[in-house]
Amino acid sequence: MMRRRTFLSVMGSGAVATVLPAETDAASYASQRYLRPPGALDEDDFLARCIRCGQCGEACPNRCIKYFGFENGLQSTDTPYITPREKACILCMKCGDVCPTGAIQKIERKVETILDEVKMGHAVVDESLCLSFQGKTCGVCYRACPLPDVAIRVGMLEQPHVLDACVGCGLCERSCIQLPQAIRVIPNHG
Amino acid sequence: MADQAATPLGIATRKPFGLWRHLNKLRWLTLGAVMAMLILIPYLHLYQTYRAAHAYDLLASSEKQIYDAMEFVTDPFVSNPAEDLDAIKGNTWSGTFWGLKISDPLAVLGQSVAGWLIHWPFAITALIPLIVTLLFGRVFCGWICPATFIYELNSSLAAWLRWAGINPTILPAHWHFDRRLKYLVLAVGLVLSSVSGASLVAGIYPPAIIGRELYYAVALGGFGVGSAIFFGTLLFDLLVARRGFCRYICPGGALYSLIGRYRLLRIRRIVETCNDCEKCTAVCEFELNPMRDNFGQECNNCTACIAICPTDALTFAIRPVDVPEQGPGHLGRNYRNNIPNGGE
Repeated sequence: MMRRRTFLSVMGSGAVATVLPAETDAASYASQRYLRPPGALDEDDFLARCIRCGQCGEACPNRCIKYFGFENGLQSTDTPYITPREKACILCMKCGDVCPTGAIQKIERKVETILDEVKMGHAVVDESLCLSFQGKTCGVCYRACPLPDVAIRVGMLEQPHVLDACVGCGLCERSCIQLPQAIRVIPNHG
Repeated sequence: MADQAATPLGIATRKPFGLWRHLNKLRWLTLGAVMAMLILIPYLHLYQTYRAAHAYDLLASSEKQIYDAMEFVTDPFVSNPAEDLDAIKGNTWSGTFWGLKISDPLAVLGQSVAGWLIHWPFAITALIPLIVTLLFGRVFCGWICPATFIYELNSSLAAWLRWAGINPTILPAHWHFDRRLKYLVLAVGLVLSSVSGASLVAGIYPPAIIGRELYYAVALGGFGVGSAIFFGTLLFDLLVARRGFCRYICPGGALYSLIGRYRLLRIRRIVETCNDCEKCTAVCEFELNPMRDNFGQECNNCTACIAICPTDALTFAIRPVDVPEQGPGHLGRNYRNNIPNGGE
């Protein structure tokens, strides 16, 4: 299955590259770090499943879901994404409710199901940037986290430690007061 | 109408139902209502986000205007806007109405070939459009499609330009594409969707573009790349062929044409009351030829020809294929000059 998919996408990139050179291969065009909405399928399946109707964005009460133009490759055009530093996901799960195709899976808005099924990414702390690790007590990321002590906990001087349960909503990155941000969500998609 | 005495008996029973002349106005109302909804829904979403943020005082004055206007519009109907307004989302490509999800058949087809898998929970959302198309043909194109609303205005613009002495068409007169080009576009679009693993047909399908782009423009601060594609189709219609995109290129129109090929409800000519004036053929946006009984699978039952017919010689018929060509209309000169007794 995956081998055929890889083959097809290589074929597709080739076919498309003749039409639109340079902007096609999502994998080789990693200039932008983005998250897919919570509950999104793996990138390949997501691209195949999404019909670009835009309802996920229309359902998002936080207006954090944006849409690609050509900048992430032709296949990603008009698909939803989230830039956590600009506006992060509040895990309301409404996008999955409204998605007609299941490209964004329907996930019940309960802590257990969210912890189980949402895999947007994983937060990583850059200790050389983090204020708490420089002796200036901060802890903002911990306080912004919707799953405190489950996804992130703080130690001495409010130094943050991201736990395995982190689902990657990005609210910590959004709230980090350091410039550039000292905590980032590394996306789970390919 | 003075010629009515010359027509055979039974004319009164062949007269179309009177309200059908007004269906074209109803169609414009429908198109306008769909367009208005597509503009309103993003604003309603903005209003919901403002409500969810609980901070009216912190809104910019322009945002307050949207808030107030949308509060005025929705206040009689909803008690908790942030939640209740979730009832209507989406656009004509795929929408949600009080839990009922309706999608364009092309969305289902494009997605199925992109993933090599029919995802049934999604596929059944195209059931209602599918049944409607099987019964009534390309009615989506004429009655609902938000692009049609703009394309028909575009046709009017071309007509005004001609009236002002400017001919916008750059093609030589009588030069035509083949209508079947759109089936090729559909096929190539599906093949590209399948090899790329992404539903690329969504990118060039005007109603899908318009639904998305209106949302981008209102809620996300600007039009996206699709608007450029749509603008290109407008130019194509203006400079190359009237409604050329719908007739020659649109993959969705192609799919609807195929599904609606044996539609039950179609327009037919009443040859006894036709006077060969050719107004129906001139008014037909799809350049079909109602006066020669030539509707085919392209006709979208828009009823513009019924509305313009001066002798009420066009009506609906329930039959799966067109009436074979019936020859010149009995009120026309051609017919009366050719019948043996000289037309009474």
